[in-house]
Amino acid sequence: MLDQYTGVGVFLAVGALFVAVTLLAGKLLRPHNPYPEKLATYECGEIPVGEGQIKFHIRYYIFSLIFVVFDVETVFLYPWAVVFEEMGLFGFVVMMLFIGTLVEGLVYAWKKGALRWV
Amino acid sequence: MIGDMVQAYLALSGILFVIGAAGLMLRRSPLVMLMCVEIMLNAANLAFVAFARHLGNMEGHIFTFLVITVAAAEVAIGLAIIVLLFRERDAADVDDVNTLRG
Amino acid sequence: MTAVFWIAGILAVAGALGVIVAKTPVHSVISLVVNILALAALYLALHAEFLALIQVIVYAGAIMILFLFVIALLTARKDPIERTEGKLEGQRELGLVTAVGGAVLMIAVAASAGLGRMPANEALPSGFGSAAAFGRELLTTHIFSFELTAFVLLAAVIGVVVLVGRRQL
Repeated sequence: MLDQYTGVGVFLAVGALFVAVTLLAGKLLRPHNPYPEKLATYECGEIPVGEGQIKFHIRYYIFSLIFVVFDVETVFLYPWAVVFEEMGLFGFVVMMLFIGTLVEGLVYAWKKGALRWV
Repeated sequence: MIGDMVQAYLALSGILFVIGAAGLMLRRSPLVMLMCVEIMLNAANLAFVAFARHLGNMEGHIFTFLVITVAAAEVAIGLAIIVLLFRERDAADVDDVNTLRG
Repeated sequence: MTAVFWIAGILAVAGALGVIVAKTPVHSVISLVVNILALAALYLALHAEFLALIQVIVYAGAIMILFLFVIALLTARKDPIERTEGKLEGQRELGLVTAVGGAVLMIAVAASAGLGRMPANEALPSGFGSAAAFGRELLTTHIFSFELTAFVLLAAVIGVVVLVGRRQL
C-alpha cells in the first residue's frame, strides 16, 4: 500500500530540493547593496505609517472557531458518505442528528449576536 | 528491520510524550504550553495507531479520531481563555496568572 | 517501511523539540506543523490512510490555523513572550531530570515488551484503514461515541461564545 505513495515522496523530496537550490543560487548570484531608501516598505511612493504587525480585533476569533468546528464536522462526513448506501435510512438519521446538534451551536452563536459584523 | 516492530513505534511515542511533558514543565508561555499538550495527545495517538496495526483491529483508529476531535474542541476553549488572559491582564507568562477573578 | 519510520520519526522528534526550544510562538507553531506532518507519514506507514488524511486536515489545517490566528491576535508587539526566570525554585532542573528519567523509562518499557513483529500486510483484514472500513466501524459499533462527539463540539461552540462572544475589548 505504501508503494502507492512513492510518487508523493519523490514529489516532496524534489520540491524541498528545488526550494533549497533556488534560494542558495539566488543568495550566491545576487548583488548585495542595501541602503535605507531601498529597505523601505514601499520603495517608491507612500511613506509607511505605524507598524506592519497590528492586533486583529477579537471578533475575528469567533469566525475562526466556527470554521474549526465545521471543519471537524466535514471530516466526519467522509466515512459516512462512503458507507451511506450500506447504512440506508439508519445512517441518514444518525448523521442528521449529528449535524442537527452542531447546527444548534451555530444557531446559539447567531442568536447571541456573536456572528454580527460590527 | 526495526521499522516494522511495534516496540519501535511505542518508543517513539514515549519520546514524543516526554518531550511534550518536558515542554509543559519548562515553558511558561500559555500558548507554547497548549502546543505541548497537543504533542502529548499526538504521541498517545501514535501508540493507538501502532497497536491497531499490530492487532489488525480498527478500534484504535476510532479512538484516535475521537481524540483529534476532542483536541480541536479543547484548543478552541483553551485559546479563548488565553485570549482573555492576554487582553485583561496582559499576562505573557502563566506565573502572572494567580487569581481566579476574570 | 523502515526508511519511512526513521525519516518521519526523526522529523517528528525534531519538530517536537523545536516547539519547546523556539523563542517566538510562530516558530513553535511551524515546528508543531512539521511534527504533525511527520506523524501523518507514520500513520500512512501503519496503514491508517484515512487517519493520515484527517491528521492533515484537522490538525495542520484547522488547529494550527487557530494557533496562528491567536498569535496574530495577541503578540503583535516585539517583547519576549515569557520572562527568563520562573517563580518556582529549581523548576528547570527538576523538569529536565523528570523528562530524561521519563524518556529512559518509556524506552525501557517499550523495548522490554515482548510484542514481536507486526503481522504482514496479507494478514490484515481487507480495506484496513480505509474510509469505508472506518465508516462501518464508526456507524455500527461506535455509534454512541460518534453522537457524543457532536455534543463535545457543541460545548466548544457555546463555551467560546460565552467567553469571547459579545465582549467589547
